[in-house]
Amino acid sequence: MAHDVLTRAGVAAAAPARAPRRRSGQWAAWGFLAPVVIYLAAFYAYPLYRNLDLSLRHYTVRSFVQGGAPFSGLDNYRAVVDNPTFWPAFLHTIVFTGVSLIFQFTIGMALAVFFAQNFRLSVVLRALFLVPWLLPLIVSASTWSWLLNSDSGVVNALLRALGIDPVNWLTSPSWALTSVIIANIWIGIPFNLVVLYSGLQAIPADLHEAASLDGATGWQRFWRVTFPLLRPVSAITLLLGLVYTLKVFDIIWIMTKGGPTDSSTTFATWSYRLSFGNLLPQFGPGAAVGNLLIVMALVFGLLYIRVQRRTMP
Amino acid sequence: MTLSRRAWGAVAALSLVAGLTACSHDSSSSAGGGSGGGTYTIWDPYPQFDDSSDWVKLLSTCGAGAGVTVKRTGYDTTDLTNKALLAAQQGNSPDVLIVDNPVVSTLAEAGVLTTTADTKIDTSAIEPNLLAAGQLDGKTYGIPIGANTLALYYNKKVLDAAKVDPATVKDWTSLTAALQKVKAAGKKGITFSAIGTEEGSFQFLPWFWGAGANLTQLDSAQGVASLTLWTDWLKKGYAPNSVLNNTQTTSWQEFATGDYAFGENGTWQLANAKKTGFPYGIIPIPAQAGGTAPAPTGGEFVTAPVQNDTGRYATSEKIIGCLTNADNALTTDTTLSYVAATKAVQQKQVAANPDLTVWVQAVGAAKGRTSDNLGTKYPKISEPMWTAFQAALSGGKQPQEAMTAAQSTAAAATK
Amino acid sequence: MKTAAGLLLTAIMLFPVYWMINVSFTRDTDMRHDPPYLFPVHGTLEGYRAVVHQQLPYLGTSLLIGLGTVALTLAISAPAGYSLAKLRPRGGGTLAFVLLMAQMIPGIIMAMGFYAIYLRLGVLNTAPGLVLADSTIAVPFGVLIFTAFMAGIPPELTAAATVDGAGTFRTFWSVVLPVSRNAIVTVSLFAFLWAWSDFVFATTLDGGGARQPITLGIYHYIGNNNQQWNAIMATAVIASVPATLLLVLAQRYVAAGVTAGAVKD
Repeated sequence: MAHDVLTRAGVAAAAPARAPRRRSGQWAAWGFLAPVVIYLAAFYAYPLYRNLDLSLRHYTVRSFVQGGAPFSGLDNYRAVVDNPTFWPAFLHTIVFTGVSLIFQFTIGMALAVFFAQNFRLSVVLRALFLVPWLLPLIVSASTWSWLLNSDSGVVNALLRALGIDPVNWLTSPSWALTSVIIANIWIGIPFNLVVLYSGLQAIPADLHEAASLDGATGWQRFWRVTFPLLRPVSAITLLLGLVYTLKVFDIIWIMTKGGPTDSSTTFATWSYRLSFGNLLPQFGPGAAVGNLLIVMALVFGLLYIRVQRRTMP
Repeated sequence: MTLSRRAWGAVAALSLVAGLTACSHDSSSSAGGGSGGGTYTIWDPYPQFDDSSDWVKLLSTCGAGAGVTVKRTGYDTTDLTNKALLAAQQGNSPDVLIVDNPVVSTLAEAGVLTTTADTKIDTSAIEPNLLAAGQLDGKTYGIPIGANTLALYYNKKVLDAAKVDPATVKDWTSLTAALQKVKAAGKKGITFSAIGTEEGSFQFLPWFWGAGANLTQLDSAQGVASLTLWTDWLKKGYAPNSVLNNTQTTSWQEFATGDYAFGENGTWQLANAKKTGFPYGIIPIPAQAGGTAPAPTGGEFVTAPVQNDTGRYATSEKIIGCLTNADNALTTDTTLSYVAATKAVQQKQVAANPDLTVWVQAVGAAKGRTSDNLGTKYPKISEPMWTAFQAALSGGKQPQEAMTAAQSTAAAATK
Repeated sequence: MKTAAGLLLTAIMLFPVYWMINVSFTRDTDMRHDPPYLFPVHGTLEGYRAVVHQQLPYLGTSLLIGLGTVALTLAISAPAGYSLAKLRPRGGGTLAFVLLMAQMIPGIIMAMGFYAIYLRLGVLNTAPGLVLADSTIAVPFGVLIFTAFMAGIPPELTAAATVDGAGTFRTFWSVVLPVSRNAIVTVSLFAFLWAWSDFVFATTLDGGGARQPITLGIYHYIGNNNQQWNAIMATAVIASVPATLLLVLAQRYVAAGVTAGAVKD
């Protein structure tokens, strides 16, 4: 019963309704939706259209300002795909997003389960865990840069104290991506913690009691009872996490600028670099990469809908 | 009915929000105003100065002298180009725009800026090497507010302990030998900024030009030699690995710890140099075979963006003239720690502060990055160049390989 | 025992925050000291002095913008969530999907598009304009949360209201909203935090404004050639205090917010 309700909660909006609809009910329904629809049209459709336009024309700085850029079809996209940075950026985007998500989710889940046990100070500590979320990204990213600095960073100082060779976290092509992933995981844990913790709160305690009465161990209880019940919440957390992580660029840009030599470049940073990161902006290719990013996110969104439809009761 | 009341309620609420926001909009858009009063907008890249600073007071005074009120906004310098382009696209350009000099060609080519012929600004007293950065196809697009450039700061204590006399550092060989001695004495050699942005290129150019290389041929023997100088320093431990991510500020912070013998940095650090607590000195960056290496010119240009109402140019010209006249230039350049752009004011600066002699000489030998009619080709060369030294310094490529790759990218982009 | 483990975990997680505080008290000349000082040995208050003298108006603006964003987000997303969850509009699924897609657009693309719109509407460089922009970060998420939450409200509750003669709006206002208190607090918290730490919209759309949020106030310390890191970190520390207080206070509601009430058998 509880499982049904949770599943319903997760798919309520995504699935077509089964109940018969009355005509006047439709007007009321869309009346409530009117603000959102106007909002969407005004504030999302227009920037998206502008970006599409930027990517389908050949823009120079002159034509960006004066207008009159010629239509160039898919030229920008072709140029982007032919660029030697394309495949590394694509790979890094996948690795960055995948690894970040796995760790953010797992650590968030572990912490949520831990804090659900309600020991002394758990409320305060849980609130403190959210502090990384409040900091402006320029501050968090800069702080991580300082921590990971090759010569004056605390992490390397610790390694040296332990007798291990210091690592060039941000300046070595082999470590740059790992370093930004670590920083991104750190920033993403609070979000996962909050949402998963709420999901845990919704599971009635008697289910856990029943399971332990049946002789299940802590791990079995988690795996057989808690985790399946959390599936809709986990799904939404992962999907939102994916969408947000794909867009991440501040952290990478401030820590490594996507370098050295593109070793930590993802689509998001590449798009920014093309449009804003050098003295001569290339808006066309930048917009093209941005659109490719949106398409990637879209593919995963569609996958999510597909999976949700299949689990509908 | 409740439902239509709800729908109308929503529409009404939204209209209210829109109305309120519209009513509270800034009344200082640049669309209005002729020459008799009104508000003129100025954008500059000095967000560190707020409204109580001398700089903003100067802007207001110049505005008042021209009969108008000034509305000034300070932006982060890396952002200002995009803001200027976006604003120009929407017809929202400021009346006076102060930008970093390598960006002037880009804005000029986009048709954002007027020429000095249009606005009748007098640039005759400006040093030609400093004006060149703002010139494209024979036309001048602005006037420099001052200039800065790079030199080598050194730590007297560290050099004395290593028994190095800074006067002996005259070319690359002697510099590297000095670094060797410093390292042997247990201190660190030199710090600079080799970050993958225009700042890194700025710091690399004195060595590049000092070897006699030319920006149109990155992979010449001289170009490769300059990159090899840097990579050798890193390999031998004379320069720290953090140069790859250093901005000029963080490079300065490393120098300020007192552990480094040399720090490549600019005029603007003079005020900070006095705060470090150790005795310091300055020598010009040596060229490969001796002499002073040409360093790139830093510093901003004051420009007048194109406006729909050409009647505004007369007042803009007055404001710009006021900002760059001899007395104001002296005050501004002293505040910013820049060298003035005219010989007359330079002499006044040196008279007031003899330490500036080295800097004035350095600025005299400096070159604009976009000069030699490189204009908007420069950014297309600068980016492959910084990619090259990032690749070589991080150990990914050998210097020759890195420069050859950079040259092919640059050549393809500037065809 | 668990408390000890909790404290340890929190300490590890918050170490970078501690470092931030450490840097905020460090002198410029010690910033790159090798090895780094774990504790600001030669501490200085110059960063904090600068912040107290200059940044307080920015904090006030950030607070106003945060609260404004919360209000706007709730006003738009709560009714929408109710509709999608309870009123079964045709095409509701598509709308939900579009909302999901809307979150995929990178902030800088949105900001550039908004610039033109705002200029025409005359809200460029104003705080209300920023409220509008910041709400675009929170509204899709808000709709998602409200939909999920309200879908779990037992139909008996709304049926009882209809039997008593309440119209759709009345049901929404007097029955559904009070029950959704936890979801409201959750969405409010997220909206506030996102607005509080937003930078992209602030710099593009309020760069020249008279009232700017704290994320732009930090740029006072990022000059064209020099950055004052202790002041930047001090700004972040001071800016985090009100937000942290809010977090601690709202924790109780947020915990129950996201899916609770969905399980009322």
